[in-house]
Order: sequence, then structure tokens, then C-alpha cells
Amino acid sequence: MITRAAINSSLSGETALPLRSAKQVMDIERLGAFHQSRLSFMRTLVRRIFRERWQIEPVRFDLDPKGYGTVVYEVNAPHGVFSFVLFSSYLCDEERNDRVIATQWDLTMALVEGRVDSHYVEKLAQNVPKQEAGRLDSRVFVLSRANRSGRNFDYVVDQLAAGLQPDVDKIVQVGYLYRTTAVYGSGKLGMADWEKVRAKHQDFARPFAGEMFVCWMLRNFSLLQVEHIAKHKEPATFNPMRTDLKHYFGIGNSTGLGMAPYLVNHPQLINQWITMRELALARVRTFGCINSTVQQRLIGLIERCSQHTVQTITGDQRQADHNQRVIEDLAALKTQIIDNLVSFDQLIGWSEQYCSVHGQEILVSVLLELHPELVDELEDFHLIEENLDLDPLMPLQQLKSIIEQRYAWAIAIDFNAEGARETYWYRSEEKMEPRLGSIANAQGKKKHMDLAVGFAVHRCYQLLRDYIRQYPDHTTARFMVDQPKLRGTVRRIQTMNHCVYGDIQANLLDRNVLPMHLLRCKLAFFGVSKFDPRSRLWVRNTMFQGAPLLDEIGQPFSDDWFMPLAPTRLSTQ
Amino acid sequence: MYISMNELKATLRRCFEASGYFVGNYEDAANMILWLEKHGLHGLNELTSAIDFVAADREKPLSKVVYEDSTSATIDAHGRSALNCGAAAVDLAQAKALESGIATITVHNCHNRMFILKALTDCGRRGISAAAYWQNGSNDITEHTAAIRSGQRYPSYSEAVTSLVSSSEDKQALTIICSSRVDLTSSLQSKDQHYISEQQIAENKAHTVEFGIEITEKLWDQINQLGTGILVENTERSRLDAGGK
Repeated sequence: MITRAAINSSLSGETALPLRSAKQVMDIERLGAFHQSRLSFMRTLVRRIFRERWQIEPVRFDLDPKGYGTVVYEVNAPHGVFSFVLFSSYLCDEERNDRVIATQWDLTMALVEGRVDSHYVEKLAQNVPKQEAGRLDSRVFVLSRANRSGRNFDYVVDQLAAGLQPDVDKIVQVGYLYRTTAVYGSGKLGMADWEKVRAKHQDFARPFAGEMFVCWMLRNFSLLQVEHIAKHKEPATFNPMRTDLKHYFGIGNSTGLGMAPYLVNHPQLINQWITMRELALARVRTFGCINSTVQQRLIGLIERCSQHTVQTITGDQRQADHNQRVIEDLAALKTQIIDNLVSFDQLIGWSEQYCSVHGQEILVSVLLELHPELVDELEDFHLIEENLDLDPLMPLQQLKSIIEQRYAWAIAIDFNAEGARETYWYRSEEKMEPRLGSIANAQGKKKHMDLAVGFAVHRCYQLLRDYIRQYPDHTTARFMVDQPKLRGTVRRIQTMNHCVYGDIQANLLDRNVLPMHLLRCKLAFFGVSKFDPRSRLWVRNTMFQGAPLLDEIGQPFSDDWFMPLAPTRLSTQ
Repeated sequence: MYISMNELKATLRRCFEASGYFVGNYEDAANMILWLEKHGLHGLNELTSAIDFVAADREKPLSKVVYEDSTSATIDAHGRSALNCGAAAVDLAQAKALESGIATITVHNCHNRMFILKALTDCGRRGISAAAYWQNGSNDITEHTAAIRSGQRYPSYSEAVTSLVSSSEDKQALTIICSSRVDLTSSLQSKDQHYISEQQIAENKAHTVEFGIEITEKLWDQINQLGTGILVENTERSRLDAGGK
């Protein structure tokens, strides 16, 4: 088992492993090319559930023949008992809306500590279906909602009721029965704070573990619900869904701009996630052995990634072009692996020369799959105590030189160039939804969110240089008394100087900024696949496609659901 | 009603951002209030007293160092709240203590000095011992002190009614002492002091983490309402800015 001390010695000093540079990794385009991996939170959660053999049983199953009602699952995990409570309600098609501004949903759910009695379920029933308009208490630690897929849900029910199976081609088009449109935790709406979850509920004391669990449970429920409805609809002809098809159903997800501020506002946490991913790559690069078995597995994974990408449907031309290029990259990588695989280090170097950024990053995920023994133990180190701390004693000359070294990318941006400050981020009075505006809206710009780290550092650097000319011997503390407007920026610079990867290197005010890159980066850490951008501001994707099913807990578990493929079409009738 | 710590922090940040606090300062202010409330030291009561004056700080001059040597400094806060100038004063005391072993900073014309406890606690966490002293009130004068030892997580706090006659200068003064060499503790000489130990503060925190924070609907509405100042009016055009069709 790796220790924090061993990790630290791998990151810096004489025993440091060959990590990719911050300049390379923190480039926003590369962050936007990340893919799911063994360290993604869905993978780590499923590993934990299956290896610890969590017991998850419905203790209340009050669904009417049309699938409406209340279901409560009791979750017995090694460190505690929890309840997953779900309300299924009728929703007409016109009311179905994925945006955060919606007010009604097909399903609403909550994850609660301990067992729940009927009185408490009734209390939840008064609030959970209202989502943001309701209030919860500190027993609840995740709240979510989901809408039925208009293209799949009724179709799958009808197929099963008629004794048929859903057509694989249709599942390739839309790989889910429900789309979740929000998953809330961390003390929203009166729920338990993350501080409580982390300290008290060890089973969910990893980033977004509770949120991912709710999505996985939703996926399991969706499969159960379609069978329930189909069985009641046509008991004489009903046939349950085949297991391989069930595996191929995930949960749909729509993610919008709200995720982008999170990445900017939690730089230490994001740095930690990226550091673990990069350390895993460096370990495989350094210690990973190559033999014929590994080579064959590598080729198999490359082929799987290629087929998975072929089966990724998107209406977005830019994404389609990327996917096509990835398919070409993977073909070239396969040839390189067959003809000339000397070392992983050499293969990575080759990919950086001949593959797109998307191709390079899919290779990273593939390499992590090859050596679980070098990768999986890092999953316990994704947490960090976030604390942007001022170093008051730091001499200003040192602060200046840190900016010059760590934020050279920000200093180099010409913020006076046309379009360089044309975008701003703001919160709408409509549910405080984050939005992206143009500078043309002068009123809105006055209320911009402070997400432009590059611009703030650039301006701080200019003021600092002027100040140092006058007071070369002052400390940071003294500078802060004179320049309180810079307090947040200086604190961030000093804190991130202790991180390997630091801040996202991009001008978020630029006219051409693509928030999609930020969304995709975080979603890749979650472990989603099938990215389908609907604009430059929001993206549809699929969660848990290929993941094992609830009733498979306790059976042999291969942990091999990376880049899942469609079942063969012939077997579906 | 009960709210989570995260809700309180996020709402306070919006409230202070809308009130013209700078980046870094509005996070400090929210954290200072939350810290007191979380540890059972009535941060929301303090906020209730301060809230009507929060926005007025925007119009006041910035804090200024009026005297300084290697072990001390005097800062004129120009009537500002400790919510937006207290942390910088403690940082200055810490920097001087690290250079000289011990340092004293006096802040004049500073309101809401109870909020300084969060900044003192940060000092302790960073390995610097810190203590603070201030007086409050016009007729019935109360005196207050808090201290934290190097490396500790929680400070102690005392308050008492005093028979001292307070000068107009004392009323809004705050004295901060930091040391990298000496472990500072503080207690008032009054026999009737109200003393809260580090242990009590730790227990208060555990209760808050488990159950959340109780707040009056009136205050909750008030800080939420102040926070709406950073929100942009919703229009059809604005909906497009979120990717809406």
C-alpha cells in the first residue's frame, strides 16, 4: 500500500518520477481531451462496492403498474447503513426539461444516513420532489432528479412487454433510460456538509462518491422499473431484458456551465486529481513491464477504444471531427505497438509527435488500464484539505519570481488584444445559474464572477512590480495591508506554488473560450463517456455504461468495463 | 430554521461580494462569521449587529499603517469592520513575529472585533501563537480576550464586564500580539469573566458539523437579499448565455 510520503517523494526531489509538465497538462485544450480512466470516480466507487460486497436491498417497493410510487433501498456498507429513497411521479412530456430551471421531474432521489421509517419517508416526500424549492436536513447527503429518455423509455417498455428485446442500434444512439439533470451534495438545501460526510461516513469519504452512488442506483432502478411496467402491461408476453443489454444501458447526464466555476474555485482539489492521474501515468511509464501478454492486452484495449469511439454518436461537428481523428490515431497507435513497442515511455513520446491531443489522452487512459497494481492504490489520495493560505512573511521579490515561473502563461497574455476580455461569467437571478455573457452587456459585466485567474494574476504582477520599486524589502503581509484588493489573488498564487500542476492555463475572458473543455475535464474525472456537446456551453454524456449491475454484487468481478462496446446485434431478439 | 455550513458560507460570500468587498476579503468575511457560529461563539448574533453597516465600508478609506517598526505597527482602519481588515492585521503581526520573535499590532477605529478569532486560529494552525484584546461598549464596558498556542486548532476566549473607564480611542481599538517563540495564553483578571475553553469550542464544532446551523428566517432572508446584488436580471437573451435554445 502506497503512503503519502512515498507519493511526495515520487513528485519531487531526487526520487521524482518523470511527470508531464504543468505547461503541457494544464493547457485547457488538453484538459478538455481527458477521458475516463481506472481512477475515475465511477470506477473507484464500483470497485469499492463490489470488493467490499455491499448489501443493497429494496426494503420498500411501492410502485403502481405504471411505475409511479416510492422505493427505498437499504444500503449496508462496511462502515454504516444508508437509505436510498426514490420518488417516481407522472410528468407530461411538455413539462420535461433538462435545464436547471425546471421545476418537475420524472424521478427524484435522496441518499440518507441510517434507516428511514415511514414518518421520515413522508417528510422526504414533502421535499425531495420539489428539489431546490424544498428543504432537507443533515441526515440527507445527496439529492438528485432524472427525466425519462423520450426516445428510449417507452420503446424499451413496449419491446419487453411484447417479449422482445430493445434494438442495439437504438441503444447505441441513446445509451440510457433516464437522464439525470442535477446531483446535489455538500450541504445544499440544508443537507449534510461535506465535512460531516468525510468525517462520519467513510464509505462515501471520497470526492463525489455519494453523488456517483446515487447515479449508479438510478441506473439500476431504471432497468428494474422498465421491467416492472412491461410486466404489468403484458404479463402473458413479457420477457425480462437480457443481461448484456442491461450492462449497455447507462444513465444519461446533461452538464452545463455550473461545473466550470467549480474547477476554477477548487484549484487544490483539481490539482490533486490531476496529480494522481499524472503520477499513475509516470509509474506505468517507469515501472510497467512489457511482454507479449501485455502487448496483446494493449492492442485489445486500443481496438476497444476505437470501436467505442465509432459507437459514440454526436451531432456536434467539432466533436465528430475529434472522434474521427481519435479513430485514426488509434489505428496508427496499433500499428506502432505491433511494429515497434520498445517502452511505454517511447510510445507516449511517439503519440505526442504523431497523434492529436485527444489521441494522446486516450492512450494515457489505456496505459492506466494495463497496470492496475501501479494505479489503483492512488485512488485513496484524491482528497485534500482545501485551504488557500497566505504566506505573510514571503518577501515580495520571491512572490514576483513565483509569478514569473508559475504564471508565465498569464503574464504572456495580451489582455489588450481584441477579444481578449470580451467574455465574462455571471450568475443569473434565475436559480443563480452560471452564464457566459458578452462584454456588450455592460450592466451584466458589473456583476461578473471572479473566475479570470489569468487576468487577476497578470494585473497583480503589474502592481507588484510597481510596489517593489518603492518598497523592495517589504513582506507580503505589508503589501496586503496596502493592497487589500489583491489579497485573494496573492493567496492563490502562494498556495498553488506548492502544487505540482496548479491553475488551469487559459484566458477565461477570451472571446473564443470554450467552457466545454472545463466541463469535459471534470466529467472525465467522474468517469463519463459518449460526450455529445449540444452547444459550446453544455454537453450530454453517459454515466455507468458497461458497469456491473446491482444484483451482480458478490459474483466474480473483473473491473473491466472501460470504454464499453455494444452487444452484438444478432443476439437481441 | 436549519442551514448547512456550506449554505451559510456561500450566502455570506454573495452578501459581502454584493456589498463591495474585494476578492479574498469576501471569503475572509464569510469564513470569519461561519467560524464563530460553527464553534458556538455566536457569529450570527455578531453579524446581526454588523449587517446594517456592512455596505458602508465601501465608502470608507482603506486601512493605513500609521506607524511601524520591526516589532510593532499601528493601523488606522478608518471605522471599517474587522470582517474586511482584521485578517490583514493579523497577517502583519504574524510576519513581524516570525522576523523578530514577538510583535504587537494595534488597530484603531475597527468594528466587529470578535470576528478576529478566525484569523487568530489560522495563526495557531501555522505554528504561531497569538492573542488579542479589545473593549466594547459606551456605558457598560466589556473587555474581551482570545488566545491560541502554537500548533493548536482552537483558541480560548474570555469576556467580562469591567469597571474601567474607556477612552474614546480605546473603544474601537484592537491589540494583537503574535509570537513565534513564546506560547501566549490570555485570561481576564475579572472574577466574573465568561471563559470558554478550547475543549468547549471543539465540542461546539462537533455539534454544528452533525446538525448544521440554526438561523432565524429574518436574518437568512436578509443576507440572501443582500446577495442578490450580484445576480443578473433574467431575460430571454440571458437564457441563451447558459446554452438555452
